[in-house]
Amino acid sequence: MNILDIRNLSIKLLTSTTPILAVDRVSLAMKEGEVRGLVGESGSGKSLLAQAIVGVLDDKWQVDADRFHWRGIDLMRLSVDERKKVISKDVAMIFQEPMACLDPTTTIGAQLEEAVDDEQLTGYFWQRKQQRKLAAANLLHKVGIKHHEVCTKSYPHQLTEALCQRVMIAMALAKRPILLIADEPTAAMESTNQNQIFRLLASLNQLKNMSILLISHDLENVTHWTNTITVMYSGQFVEAGTTQHIFNKPYHPYTRALVDSSPKANMQIPMKSRLMTLPGSIPILQHLPIGCRLGPRCPKAQKACVQAPKVKNYHGHQVSCHYSLKGSY
Amino acid sequence: MTSLLQVSNLSKSYKLNGFWFNRKSIPALEPLSFDIQAYKTLAIVGETASGKSTLAKLLVGAEKPTTGNIKLNGQMLQHGNFKQRCQHIRMIFQDSGTTLNPSLTIQQLLDEPLRLNTDLTELERNKLIQETLQKVGLLGEHMSFYPHMFSGGQKQRISLARAIILKPQVIILDEALAALDPSLRSQMINLLLDLQQQMGLAYILISHNLGIVRHFSDKMMVLCKGRVLEVGDTQQLLKNPQHKYTKKLIMNQHFKLPNN
Ligand SMILES: Nc1ncnc2c1ncn2[C@@H]1O[C@H](COP(=O)(O)OP(=O)(O)OP(=O)(O)O)[C@@H](O)[C@H]1O
Ligand SMILES: Nc1ncnc2c1ncn2[C@@H]1O[C@H](COP(=O)(O)OP(=O)(O)O)[C@@H](O)[C@H]1O
Ligand code: SF4
Ligand SMILES: [Mg+2]
Ligand SMILES: [Mg+2]
Repeated sequence: MNILDIRNLSIKLLTSTTPILAVDRVSLAMKEGEVRGLVGESGSGKSLLAQAIVGVLDDKWQVDADRFHWRGIDLMRLSVDERKKVISKDVAMIFQEPMACLDPTTTIGAQLEEAVDDEQLTGYFWQRKQQRKLAAANLLHKVGIKHHEVCTKSYPHQLTEALCQRVMIAMALAKRPILLIADEPTAAMESTNQNQIFRLLASLNQLKNMSILLISHDLENVTHWTNTITVMYSGQFVEAGTTQHIFNKPYHPYTRALVDSSPKANMQIPMKSRLMTLPGSIPILQHLPIGCRLGPRCPKAQKACVQAPKVKNYHGHQVSCHYSLKGSY
Repeated sequence: MTSLLQVSNLSKSYKLNGFWFNRKSIPALEPLSFDIQAYKTLAIVGETASGKSTLAKLLVGAEKPTTGNIKLNGQMLQHGNFKQRCQHIRMIFQDSGTTLNPSLTIQQLLDEPLRLNTDLTELERNKLIQETLQKVGLLGEHMSFYPHMFSGGQKQRISLARAIILKPQVIILDEALAALDPSLRSQMINLLLDLQQQMGLAYILISHNLGIVRHFSDKMMVLCKGRVLEVGDTQQLLKNPQHKYTKKLIMNQHFKLPNN
């Protein structure tokens, strides 16, 4: 069963003139225990979508959806506060910039203790302080920080980025979430640290059956750790399917370009030769092309592309393109 | 032929009083030597805290070396002579987003090095800024934007624009490609390779993405805890790593070279 089922979710940025459609009818479903990658270039609206799911967008933004269910509950029918309550009980999010999300004036230990859920504390109130301390230490152990004493006494700026990221994960775990949304948890980390974080997430997924939505701008980076992948571009849905399909037989020209542009996936090309890449760059919100937003950069674009394509579903492999590459394999 | 950049016996230890472990001095980098020719790329790989950024900072002169010296075109670089250095050796930082001054527009950011280091008129400077922005895939109209209006990848391009605007001879890329989107990244790699061909640039590429290292670099150097473990031709070294640590790095990335 899908724990999260989102159909045609749109996010509008309300401006003094006409609202801007930052995210345009994106669908996303998550099964229990699934690890899904959400991939797209910078500015494609991944973080916005994640923030809309956990309900932390401010009132500059307006969220609409045809369907927005969390474990069978229709969230669109609830008030904003009720929705937040349902979601924050089960869904935890790790934000993109760990340093910015931790309070610089409080020690890590104090911040972690605050995050520990009251329900997990069983003792009398005079025992609670000690229990919280213990729980915090346990959480740190869980995310692979062995010397928790050093860590709990530190302030965020005294830790490295990778350590802060682990602390953020520990805080997210304090709630025992059913779904963890990890927004670029390893951006700008070295490969060994990256792998440690990914392995940590994978083990949490296996041991706790925790579902994970892993957000990344780098397709090749997440392929080893995900079951399924959803690709977005400039706020539009591109393609979704199993990791195998997406990486080996992408149906969408954009996904194809992502795979082709990776130096790691293209070992056979001679060194220092030109890498395949799409021309241009992702449009800014103020100048979005009409119809398919990839149009101006797409090698296969034709007249029909000024109309936004409908999503087609081939045995669970969904693609949104007028001229999909399905026939070319 | 003399090398473009010659580094001999360079080392650095940081003096600390009462950080975490009350250590007096951290040897961040043990003495090392290497040289680079024009048109070539040297890759430096290694885990966190292996001293890669320290080496980069020494080369651009942001830190004073404990021992050793650096020669550019046979000329010794003095620490503190920034004018001499910043024209010829430029660096793009790991977290370049945060190194852009948020209160300046892109035009002002790019104008600064030009005003300090060249005698161009305002008109010429503006033209050069526009050209450079286009070179890195941004638009002339971005000149009036402030850094916070850009995404991470675009900020990276601005840093690149700032680095190449003075037409340097050596560019140090400290994880500069890591935060980029794949499609931007391959554009950037193409761009950097083009610039290398056109301008004879030498690059020092600090990266943990071995795919990029393989594609981009001629020589590579493996650092671990401030020590050089291996140096050699990139293709050879990746195919036939000698050190356990290098093998582990390669394993970690599920990295396989085609057999040919
Ligand atoms: N506070 C804001 N005000 C105005 N525009 C915004 C704001 N936050 C995001 N945007 C715009 O919304 C779009 C999507 O942004 P979002 O942060 O979701 O991108 P992303 O896919 O997470 O990118 P990245 O990989 O860089 O994190 C971008 O065009 C961005 O410029
Ligand atoms: N400004 C500094 N003061 C004290 N120690 C530092 C400073 N910069 C780096 N170090 C230390 O030097 C070592 C190497 O760091 P660095 O060169 O940044 O590694 P890398 O870039 O390979 O991750 C680390 O142990 C780090 O803690
Ligand atoms: S709909 Fe047209 S422009 Fe969009 S991806 Fe498909 S072919 Fe390209
Ligand atoms: Mg984001
Ligand atoms: Mg570094």
